[in-house]
Amino acid sequence: MTNMGKGKPFLEVLASTIHEDYRFPFLELFAFFYILGTFVLSSFTGTVSSQFTTNEGVAYSLASSLISGSLIVFMLLIFKNIAYGLGNELEKGIIQTYFSYPLKRRAILTAKLLSAIGVAMLLFFGIQISALYILAPDIVLPQLDTVILTYAASLSYPLLISAIMLLLTLKLRRGGIGLVVGIVLYFAMSIVALIAFFVAVASKSPLFLQILSVISPTYALQYHYGGGLSGVSSLLSVPWAPTLSEALLYIGASYVLVASLFALGYIYFSRRLNL
Amino acid sequence: MKRWTTILGRGGTTLIAISLALLLVSVVPSIQTHTSGGSGPLGPEGMRILLNAQNFNPQQELEVAVTVEGTVTVYLLEIDLELNFSPTAGFGYNFNSTDLQELLEEHPDRVIWEHEVENGDYKRSYIPTRVMNATVVAYNQPDSENAYLESDVALQSGLAPKDKVRNIAYWVAPIGVILALPWLVNLWKQRKHK
Repeated sequence: MTNMGKGKPFLEVLASTIHEDYRFPFLELFAFFYILGTFVLSSFTGTVSSQFTTNEGVAYSLASSLISGSLIVFMLLIFKNIAYGLGNELEKGIIQTYFSYPLKRRAILTAKLLSAIGVAMLLFFGIQISALYILAPDIVLPQLDTVILTYAASLSYPLLISAIMLLLTLKLRRGGIGLVVGIVLYFAMSIVALIAFFVAVASKSPLFLQILSVISPTYALQYHYGGGLSGVSSLLSVPWAPTLSEALLYIGASYVLVASLFALGYIYFSRRLNL
Repeated sequence: MKRWTTILGRGGTTLIAISLALLLVSVVPSIQTHTSGGSGPLGPEGMRILLNAQNFNPQQELEVAVTVEGTVTVYLLEIDLELNFSPTAGFGYNFNSTDLQELLEEHPDRVIWEHEVENGDYKRSYIPTRVMNATVVAYNQPDSENAYLESDVALQSGLAPKDKVRNIAYWVAPIGVILALPWLVNLWKQRKHK
């Protein structure tokens, strides 16, 4: 079959999965909550403080303040699409209908992920970029590289959770446990980060924060721009101020981790999943 | 054809949802975080600092209202002032009319807006598009006569610039309705047919 011939079945599968994942009015509801999450849960007054003295630091704090609210909505959409949607299709055997298309299994999984994560990200970025432009165009445009870096760092951990949830859903052929693990991992990170911070302060070693930054590089970026609790008191100062290239290295490492887990998911779906 | 109607229709309903959310954001009331007011005479070359706000950000709105008898110029300046204490005068800013003149001549880029008020009321609000230090100053020019100034300055914290958000919602909603209408009509016909 030619590439042209493969394109149409792929689009058919993609259209079918998008139709399933975003049945009316799910897309509309999530768009509504993305907007509310972006504006209602962000607080510039709380985040923009004297800790961030440079323009890059201010741009970082504004962007991360905007991201935090709608990231919860983004994760809910991923939970629904992967754990509930894909999990249900595997459990009930609906996924087998896609195998009748003249497509390789990896193409079917790509279509599922494009719908589950790709469309969710498209909506996320569309609303976030518009919100940043509405609120602070004079910060976003001159500091575009910092804003992009903040988004790249912030999305790495949610994508890691998505990959873990995908692996669990594929392995167990149902989404329940994947969903619970995803929720626990998402909320546990802030607790683990706080513990790592206090361990770093007490032991005067940033090792735990560095390990944590491989999983969630937003911490490396935060310490690079001078944020964190270290601004509150000199007693709580962490002996770690990564340079920009170090922060980039952590972001790169975290995406390698994410890509490896997704690759494992592809291998399992293509070769090991007996359906 | 049917697929395109569905894609455009769902895009339209999403735009309607976005505009409803934006309208909801625009009606959430702001909280007044700072207010200062006062009245008194202002002689020639006299200056009064009405407000000094640090880290004034895009989620905040400054509202200035002044009533003047005589002629007074009101400035919004992008400067950060230090508060000093002296045993004789108490707390005060280290910024006087000479500093203001110097700033106006040497750094006109620090003036965000200025307005001369002559025997009347003046109201203005301002929402920044970045994080800045803002100072509102009332100044009586050296060639003017004695003036009487009554001022009321407030700093409000909200979710987003209300007018901007509301305008976007007003533009987005009709586009959404136009896109969604053929799909909604199709959906209604299908249900009626069933």
